[in-house]
Parts: sequence; structure tokens; C-alpha cells
Amino acid sequence: MFDLINPSRIFHWIEKLINFINSIFFILLIIALTFALILSPPDYLQGDSVRIMYVHVPSAWIGLASFTSIALLSILNFIFKIKNLNLITKSIAPLGLMFTCLAIVTGSLWGQPTWGTWWAWDARITSMVVLSIFYILFILAHKLIEQEDKANKVSNIIAIIGLVNIPVIKYSVDWWNTLHQPSSIKLDGTSSIHPSMLLPLMLMLLVLLLYCALILLMKYKTEIIRIKKKNIKRI
Amino acid sequence: MIQNFISMNGYGLFVWLSFAITFLACATIYYKTYKTLKKYEKDFAKELEQLSASERKLVLEKSKVASQVLASYNKSI
Repeated sequence: MFDLINPSRIFHWIEKLINFINSIFFILLIIALTFALILSPPDYLQGDSVRIMYVHVPSAWIGLASFTSIALLSILNFIFKIKNLNLITKSIAPLGLMFTCLAIVTGSLWGQPTWGTWWAWDARITSMVVLSIFYILFILAHKLIEQEDKANKVSNIIAIIGLVNIPVIKYSVDWWNTLHQPSSIKLDGTSSIHPSMLLPLMLMLLVLLLYCALILLMKYKTEIIRIKKKNIKRI
Repeated sequence: MIQNFISMNGYGLFVWLSFAITFLACATIYYKTYKTLKKYEKDFAKELEQLSASERKLVLEKSKVASQVLASYNKSI
């Protein structure tokens, strides 16, 4: 099964996938932006500031999902010692950091007109800052530790410790009395968001996920070339 | 109507700034990733060129990745 993620095996698929994503990306982006900025209605309480949600919420979800993937792949790597998983986690980390920072910044831009403040040391916001610190530590481990094996080990440990923070972020709005609103979208079907707002949200999520896939594939391809270049004499 | 769209009933600054920051960050990361990928492809192709003809042939025969990188690099120049 693990042979399926063998770099040599999937390399030619990467190029095809990159071309496919490039061909549909801009059409989907225009559709998503039309829904998010023009067709979706303003909120009855928050007015047009609710449109910030269409970039804030997908960014936060991607930030959380990326770190969860990194941590789970790190656990798998500890158990099965698959070197290739390190390439994947290393490629995901900068994207996850960017989206976590975007969630914090756009959240702040939402907070000013909604709560009357740019920043509050609220449980949800603080735990998101902690998440960004874990991302930074993970990336720094790869940048500062020269021995690749040691860097991988340290970054895997950071990711596994950071996993504890994920449920804290998710349930912070339920466990503590926070300024941040509770989640409006639930997987059990009790979502309180109107379909006219859910559709643009899902479209923006799809566009940003495609963007992530594109960057991830390009980064993964770069990592494979870097390794092949290092071992060119051995080939 | 256009004025309303731009001002977003007084929330324009916050809404447009959020979207602008998001797309600027995404575009920057895309540009940096693309540049790095092309640089590595170029370096790899250069390293292949430095090998002797027989060594290069052997590398290209043995490594699918090497031949694909070279093809991708040749396509981009």
C-alpha cells in the first residue's frame, strides 16, 4: 500500500493534476467570488460584514485540518517509519501556517465592526495563536536542524504535542464563555446557517482547497526533485 | 449601485481588506512556490548536463523522475 505514495510512481500524476487544477481554478474562483460578494444576502444583524466569513471560516478550517493531517502523518511516520510522509508534512506546514494567520487577521477585521475591537484574548483566538506557534516551531525545526533525520524526529514530536491544541480550538467556544460565536455549521445536520450563505461558503472552501492542492503538489514535486538532485550520482 | 457594492453599507474597508489580504497572501505563496520549483528543475537539468553522455543516458533510463523533470524543464524554456 505504501508503494502508492512512492515519489517515482506518483511523479507523473502530479504534473497531470497540476494542469487539471489550473484549468478549472479561475472559473471556480469567479463563481465563488460572485456568490460571496454579490449574490449572497447581507446578514440581518451583521450586515455586509458577514462576507468576511467567506474567507475567514475556510481559512480557519484549512489551518486546523492541515495541522491535524501533519500530526496524524507524524504518528504514522513514528509507527511505520515511512520517509516519504516527512516530505508531505513538510509541504503542508507553510500552507497551514499561512491559512492560520489569515484566519487570525481576517477574524480581527471581522471583530472590529462586529465586537468593536480588533483583538481580545478570547479562548478561540488565543488557541489559534498557539496553533500558529506550533506551525512556526515545526517549520523552524526543519530550517534550523541540519541533520535531516533529527529534524524530522523533532518536527514530528512538535506536531504530535500540538495535536492536543486541536480539540481545544474546536470546543473552546463550548467550554468557555467566549466573545467568539459558537459554530454555526455542524456535521450532525443541526447547522444554523441559511443555505444562501452556506453555498458561497462551500464554494470558497472548494476554491481554497484546490489552491492548497495545487501548492501542495508543487511543493511535493520540488521536494522530490531536491532529493533526486542530491542523489543523482547514486542513480 | 456600484457605490453600494464598493462601500458594502459602510463595511467595505473591512470586507475588501479581508479578501485582498487573502488573495495577496495566496498569490505570493503561489509565486514563491512556482519560482522554487522552476529553480530546482533548472538546477537538476544543469546537473544532468554536467554528467558524461553515458552517465546521463543511464540516469535517464533508470530514473523516471529524472526524465520527467528534464522533459518539464525543456517544455518551460
